[in-house]
Amino acid sequence: MPAGADLPRIDGLDKLAGRAAYVDDLPTPGAWHGATVRSSVPRGKIRDIHFDPAFDWNDITIVDHRDIPGPNQLKLIDVDQPVLAAGEVRHKHEPILLLAHPSVHKLRDALRAIRVDVEPLPAILDPAAPLTPDLIQYKSDNVLKHIDIRQGDPGPVFARAAHIIEGEYVTGSQEHVYLETQGMLAQWQDGRLTVRGSMQCPYYVLDALTHLFGRSRDAFRVIQSPVGGGFGGKEEYPSLLAIHAALLAEKSGAPVKMIYDRQEDMAVTTKRHPSRTRHRTALDKDGRLLAMEIDVLLDGGAYVTLSPVVLSRGCIHAAGPYFCENIHIRGEARLTNSPPYGAFRGFGAPQTIFAIERHMDVIAARIGIDPVELRRRNLVRTGQPLATGQIYKEPTDLPALMDRALDLAQYKARTQSHAEFNKSHPFLRRGIGFATFHHGAGFTGGGETYLASEVWIEGKPDGTVELQTAQTDMGQGTTTILTQVVAERLGIPTEQVRVATPDTSRVPNSGPTVASRTAMVVGKLIEQACDDLLHQLGRKSGDPEISDDIRRHASLPGKSLVGRAKYQKPASIQWDDKTYRGDAYATYSWATYVADVEVDLRTCRVRVTDFVALQEVGRVLNTTLATGQIAGGVVQGIGWALYENVVLEDGAMKNCQMTNYVIPSAGDLPPIRVVFEERPSHWGPGGAKGIGELPMDGPAPAIVNAISRAVTTTINEIPVTPELLLKATEGRGHG
Amino acid sequence: MHTFEFGRPADAAAAIATAARAKTAQQGADVRFVAGGTTLVDLMKLNVETPGRLIDINRLPLDKIEATADGGLKIGATVRNSDLANNAVVQRDYSVLSQAILAGASAQLRNMATTAGNLLQRTRCMYFRDTAMACNKREPGSGCPAITGANRMLAVLGTSEQCIATNPSDMCVAMAALEATIHVQGAKGSRAIAFGEFHLLPGSTPERETVLEPGDLITHVTLPAPLAGSKQVYLKLRDRASYEFALASAAVVLTMKGETVTGARVALGGVGTKPWRSHEAETALVGQAADAATFRKAAEAALRDAKPQSENGFKIELAKRCLAYALKTAATA
Repeated sequence: MPAGADLPRIDGLDKLAGRAAYVDDLPTPGAWHGATVRSSVPRGKIRDIHFDPAFDWNDITIVDHRDIPGPNQLKLIDVDQPVLAAGEVRHKHEPILLLAHPSVHKLRDALRAIRVDVEPLPAILDPAAPLTPDLIQYKSDNVLKHIDIRQGDPGPVFARAAHIIEGEYVTGSQEHVYLETQGMLAQWQDGRLTVRGSMQCPYYVLDALTHLFGRSRDAFRVIQSPVGGGFGGKEEYPSLLAIHAALLAEKSGAPVKMIYDRQEDMAVTTKRHPSRTRHRTALDKDGRLLAMEIDVLLDGGAYVTLSPVVLSRGCIHAAGPYFCENIHIRGEARLTNSPPYGAFRGFGAPQTIFAIERHMDVIAARIGIDPVELRRRNLVRTGQPLATGQIYKEPTDLPALMDRALDLAQYKARTQSHAEFNKSHPFLRRGIGFATFHHGAGFTGGGETYLASEVWIEGKPDGTVELQTAQTDMGQGTTTILTQVVAERLGIPTEQVRVATPDTSRVPNSGPTVASRTAMVVGKLIEQACDDLLHQLGRKSGDPEISDDIRRHASLPGKSLVGRAKYQKPASIQWDDKTYRGDAYATYSWATYVADVEVDLRTCRVRVTDFVALQEVGRVLNTTLATGQIAGGVVQGIGWALYENVVLEDGAMKNCQMTNYVIPSAGDLPPIRVVFEERPSHWGPGGAKGIGELPMDGPAPAIVNAISRAVTTTINEIPVTPELLLKATEGRGHG
Repeated sequence: MHTFEFGRPADAAAAIATAARAKTAQQGADVRFVAGGTTLVDLMKLNVETPGRLIDINRLPLDKIEATADGGLKIGATVRNSDLANNAVVQRDYSVLSQAILAGASAQLRNMATTAGNLLQRTRCMYFRDTAMACNKREPGSGCPAITGANRMLAVLGTSEQCIATNPSDMCVAMAALEATIHVQGAKGSRAIAFGEFHLLPGSTPERETVLEPGDLITHVTLPAPLAGSKQVYLKLRDRASYEFALASAAVVLTMKGETVTGARVALGGVGTKPWRSHEAETALVGQAADAATFRKAAEAALRDAKPQSENGFKIELAKRCLAYALKTAATA
């Protein structure tokens, strides 16, 4: 079956039938359970740890920071985060001790028999709060990362601008709510550790283990078990959990399973970075962008983790898909004593795109120009640079893409009919709003070069091929898509393609499954590996003899038949990480999303009544999966815009149960019309580009633009809860 | 979850005898009746409830809906919420009850949840549900961090210095407006409890939520004969369309003559520490013209004593609008 022909999900039936074995389902005779003793305060000095003498501690394995064989560091971008607190805690729920025991019940009793004495230290819980010396915990200023993107010179332009418009836009955190909570199983055997679990990035876990245990890579084997959703939440956190399980397994001598329940998972794992973005924009009298000053502030939480790169993606997208000669974007991720914020679908871009797309509507309203017209005048065109100086060379006519989406949504007609409706209805208000945006596919800047991803495709004696990559399927369809890519490139039926389970002892490091890079970047490498295999066989794609050739070659004693490919930076991509100038991404996906809403002024309830998601994503490899991924992202975006409110107490999520963290239900969702404009791109396999994160970017600004128009007020903050709306429409809802 | 004993008594007397050995029928009870389990089992998983013994009453003959001699309705303790909401008599004569039940939980939960269980539904306050936190309801005397903490969903009516937890039930709000009676069989015999006297205000003993004593088994609820020509509405405002507790809700039962309100029973949900019957609103309605001004006055009266906390002040205005909106809907039905 060729690509684009909607191969059914290869993993689908097993998951539907309950046959897929997630980490908690793995048979593990003799396994112990692991648990974590955590900080109850956002910051403090650990004075003492009391173990209740009345409790029998004999058969409980207890691990603290002194049991760590190598450096007590979680290796990521920086090494500032300890895997177990030693002396000082920097956030609520920070791990201090680990316990293991064969009985869950005894383990729970043991947790209750431990009291950690912490002397509280001053904590900083708001990244914008003024700094006093006693609050400084990272370098000299708590700034985890600073980014400057400069183009032209905005300063002098403001003096001659016809309009100067300012705005501040605030987004809240967001919890991933993957169906399967985090879990890891660690087992030492003959001095070698095997870790299985729920993860997006097996090689990140391997690196973290290698660093912490101070042993060579051969000592570790990391295997991905079926993953019930990730959305970025299983990018960096699984490394910490794998280390915890491994430490307990080493000390106890038993296999150790650590499975978080929902409450622990929500309370302690990473979430989307809260943000505050300020815009100051100069325009000429016709609404052309003359200069943009943008300040992006992210709350990074207590350690560096991935905040620098989240900030980077956020800043690069902060000026939107617009042409402006003079831009200055200043970004900062600052430390707070919250649990570290981390990767979440969109990776900083949803925050800054919410800001710029709300700001465009604010500008339109303030200078009295149609928001469609404002965007039409400023959308980037062939030969013009984006904020980092990257020249727009893509085939897509962005104003035409916008017009198509607006037509699909009957934007003009509805704008008019809503105006009529709002004049006559006593308490319902309707509005239609939209956002035009883009999302870079793959790692930022030099990231792909640094990763140097590698993929293998191995011919088997039975005539089939096995694809070997570290790419994980967490429900988004990786296995299916990559099978299609191989089948299409080799010209063989999909039934003759198998995809190896990501297992660091068997598959090469093809990089993490993040950043909308799998289908596009790794997919392209797979095409090259297929070509290498064909070359070794002396065959062309689709030759009927391929299977027989593979069978023969692979059966030769002592021989193996492996097609290989390794990422090489294309010469056309130029990026300077110091100046933040150049080609930030090989390519982008482009989109216009349109939301129709109805607001009840009396009850302050918002209903999204219709949604159009139009995107140009290169060629679509599998329409069913792509449509599902876009629709799912839109739902997650609707949740972030209207429902999902992470309530912080002492810097940590307080509403960490599904009964009090509200995600949208099926009853809250409009029809979501997913439409693709297909323009094959030479960057991805079969012309594909990345799509995983894109749909997270557009819904929030489109919805809030629609609400703001419906109730003729300016709302610059999400989530738009009933109380926020009540305040914004005060006095207008007495029914 | 802690280990526990599970028993299935042959009859009500055996169930009552076993339960009567408990020290309390309130928070911390070591013996609990279990029917649908939709609240209790959840709380046991969270270790908020840790009973040593569960008495399964599902097989006792308490699952009937029958007419009473005085023209009312008798609803058995283990009648499932779905069956009650979809009962033809309930839909015709007590539609506010049907509306309220269907506004709560999910279809799956309603298929399991029972009448008596819903009467005893526990609060969703996140401090109550988190054993790492202090909570006067869960551990008397430990304190109430909700008052200075995350209290957006918590009560504005009937609160005390010790507890501001919201009663989450929808069914109970309708039953309050319908003036239901709760029938209990206990170690000392049977008794009938007026709905308004069944739930307790938290006061200084928030761990006590009802007047039930050890051994008390709710056998059934009765509803009085329906008010001829009454108009009934249950309106619920919540954060999402389904499967969500109320920010504010209102149950109204109105009788009218022409454009004048002749009788009114009003109860509020989502805002009180117990299902909140508002006699103040009723007084403001009876004898008045059924118009927006009257409805707003009634709503103002219902929330006059409301006390906002740091995050839940918006619920006062929302509850007023909810009640006014429900009254208008009922009056024009």
